[in-house]
Amino acid sequence: MEMSDVGFLGLGISVLIHVLFVTITMGVGWITAFSRYIAYRKNDVSLEKFARRTFRVLVVFELFSGVWGTIITVFLAGFFPTLTALATNVLFAPLLIALISIMIRLPSIGIFWYTWDKIHPRIHSTIGFIMAISGFTIPFGFRAIFSEITAPTAIAEFVAKGFATAFASYSSIVFWLLYLHTVFAALSVGGFVVAFISSLDKDLNGIKIGNRYGLYFLIAQVPIGLFYWLSLRDFSYYMFDKITFGSFLPILALKITVALVLLIIAVIAISAKDKIKYQYPVILSLLVVFLGELMNSGARYPYMVILGKEGIHFSNFLNFYIEIPMTAVFVILAFLVVSIIIFSAALFYTVFKRYLLEFPE
Amino acid sequence: MEVGSLLVLSAIGVYFHAIFVSITLGVPILIMMLLLKYNKTGDQDYLKAAKLMTAVLAVNFALGAITGTLVEFGLVQAWPGTILAIASFAFVPLALELIAFANEIALLVLFIVTLGRIKPMTSFVILALYWIFAVFSGVLITAVNSWLIAPWGTGGIAKALYPFMPEFGPMSTDLEKIVALKIIAITSGLPLQAIIQNPGVAEKVGLILLDPFVAFTSPLAIVSILHNIFAAFLVGTSIVLVFYAFRYYFSKEERHLKVLKITAGVTFILFLIQPTVFGHFMGESVANYNPTKFAMMENAVKTHYNPIVAFLAYGDPSKPILGFDEFEKSCNLLGTTKVGDLAKLAGLTKDELSLIAKEIGAPLDPRKLDVVWNTEVRQLCYSDLEKAMKRITTVHASYYTKISFGILGFVSAIALFLHFKSSSISNIVKRVLGEKAIVVLSLLIFLGSVIPSVFGWYVREVGRKPWTVYGLLYPEELVTVVGYARTTEFAAFMIFVVSLIAIFGIFAMYLIAKRYER
Repeated sequence: MEMSDVGFLGLGISVLIHVLFVTITMGVGWITAFSRYIAYRKNDVSLEKFARRTFRVLVVFELFSGVWGTIITVFLAGFFPTLTALATNVLFAPLLIALISIMIRLPSIGIFWYTWDKIHPRIHSTIGFIMAISGFTIPFGFRAIFSEITAPTAIAEFVAKGFATAFASYSSIVFWLLYLHTVFAALSVGGFVVAFISSLDKDLNGIKIGNRYGLYFLIAQVPIGLFYWLSLRDFSYYMFDKITFGSFLPILALKITVALVLLIIAVIAISAKDKIKYQYPVILSLLVVFLGELMNSGARYPYMVILGKEGIHFSNFLNFYIEIPMTAVFVILAFLVVSIIIFSAALFYTVFKRYLLEFPE
Repeated sequence: MEVGSLLVLSAIGVYFHAIFVSITLGVPILIMMLLLKYNKTGDQDYLKAAKLMTAVLAVNFALGAITGTLVEFGLVQAWPGTILAIASFAFVPLALELIAFANEIALLVLFIVTLGRIKPMTSFVILALYWIFAVFSGVLITAVNSWLIAPWGTGGIAKALYPFMPEFGPMSTDLEKIVALKIIAITSGLPLQAIIQNPGVAEKVGLILLDPFVAFTSPLAIVSILHNIFAAFLVGTSIVLVFYAFRYYFSKEERHLKVLKITAGVTFILFLIQPTVFGHFMGESVANYNPTKFAMMENAVKTHYNPIVAFLAYGDPSKPILGFDEFEKSCNLLGTTKVGDLAKLAGLTKDELSLIAKEIGAPLDPRKLDVVWNTEVRQLCYSDLEKAMKRITTVHASYYTKISFGILGFVSAIALFLHFKSSSISNIVKRVLGEKAIVVLSLLIFLGSVIPSVFGWYVREVGRKPWTVYGLLYPEELVTVVGYARTTEFAAFMIFVVSLIAIFGIFAMYLIAKRYER
């Protein structure tokens, strides 16, 4: 395998894993914070227990999902230094928004977890909302990169004028549709994850809350997904063509099929209450996210930045400054697999053996 | 190009990161000791203390990770010229750091989730593995930082411009390309980002580094790694020490004393090794590889004799401490050599340079190129020495403040350790310091580890100015092209945000530590 392909594949895989993890954490974060607040306002003890249980998932997932963000950054700077140098110029402000959000998000999760029952619920709920909202402002920054390499606006302004205004990338309709799609997907996946966690504890109310989030935001994704697809036709024809008529058509077809199956299961789940195996909606919803992101990242190949019907080949951004030692790269990839195994063990102990219950229930 | 405010912002980011990383590296040592004690005695106090420290470690780790992200992004966003180094000299260390970071987090999560639920020795092993990866992470990041201080693999490039400098290892770089990029950057007046962001430029420039592992072979890197990592252990453990000293003083509870004794023992051992052995080797390396920094540390405006310092730095008390007057004499050796003459030695003509600049999307103004081409190198040499000299007073004062507090901490660590071990020493300590002896000594140990670290890092970073990559690149060449990011207002805003988050985070750790046991 060529170094260039390893770079593109490595970046793609890191993006896919990262997106899968953060989709879960964003959604679960919001559901937890909102439920905790409602529990405080209504003095609902069982709802508070539900919020605590679901939050375990976020505590375990967040840092590990963040690691993959760092991996993406190193892949970008190491394998694609030109793209990184360009992005840190034209997308300086969006990247800064993401950076500040990360700085708020991580400590607020730790603080929210360890201060439960130790500070006033009102303050605790406020920390929860800060934690949840900062989860959504991270992709508000980072999705600008994806939007730019799919349908450049800030880069276009930079090429035309020699500079790009701070928030130029937010004038793109592609960005807003992609961002909304991301947020709705996170809330939907988060809902299904919460329903699954609640089913392990036989918490019917928790299952109901999770299923509602899952179903409603799955439905909300339908028009957004459609508009996003249409926006590609207008602003990123190469990707539209590849997805609609080219090599990624089977992926699109599979995604639509899986989404339809998920929709049916989600509708049944709402009415069937505890009669459903709730791991299936989780798996299917993550599969939908995976397939969507696979199209979003892979359909641009062999281009990195799409310019209508063509693009800038990814080799234009590659690192030619050194001969990348591929042995080191493969060793790193092997150790990353090890880290996934260790993380899976932690997840198993948290979710199935329910070890992370610091609080008396 | 104004870079002062961004330098301040970067320094604050690095300092906050250093605080949290120190706790990340130091506290696990104590948790491991507590788990061993718990396993041996079955005393629940040790397990409770281990759990409390784990809770603090968890929040601290999050703060370390975000400040690490800040530093990482700060590097590529505020100083995007460093992307060239990340893609070459720093590629292998930073790529390997991914192994460390990913496994560190996975193991920490596993440790937190399973602590108290599985056998203590299994928890011990999980935490030990976490700690090994955390240390490995520190090793790799320090290796990258050390490359900025002694750019190993660039051979005699810096020496050609500044004859008083040493050679930095073998010539593993493509001299012609490095010289071309440097002259293009100087002539265009643009930061490197303006050049390296152009699509296709990397392919046109091609290989600039022949040995991607060269950063690991630097003698300064090896010494720096030991010095920095052990300093971090010391800071982390001394923070815990002072916390428990106060808790014990106010509560007089035996359980706090138990933890205090363990922490005092660890701190004592670290104090025996860190400043004496690794600190000494670090000083020697600075004298060898950063002559201007060493002169700044010793306030050597003029060359002078100091047998003690000379013995410690060079192993020869009769050797003079080279000062800036001697460096200026070295600059004279360059005679009337011009930038163009050096470029020709590297195999470049003016026409070739213009052509390269055009190809990589940074066309040069011929008149400006003439000016740079005909600039005498010794003028550059004098000018940079003058810039370095401006910082001599602060670097010198910082260095000796560091040394003074280090000695204070060293003596206090011995006194506290013996206070717990020997009743006769304990009586003497109590007679001198009274009932507050433990608190006072712990506080002095804390100051004796934190202040030397703070000032030590200041000397390390400011002492290598006016360069960011010693002898090769200035901050102005690495800074972002984004205008508003270089303003004071932007830096002030970011400093406010970073400080707010860090202070809130530290307060949260304190709150957790205070309330966790309730």
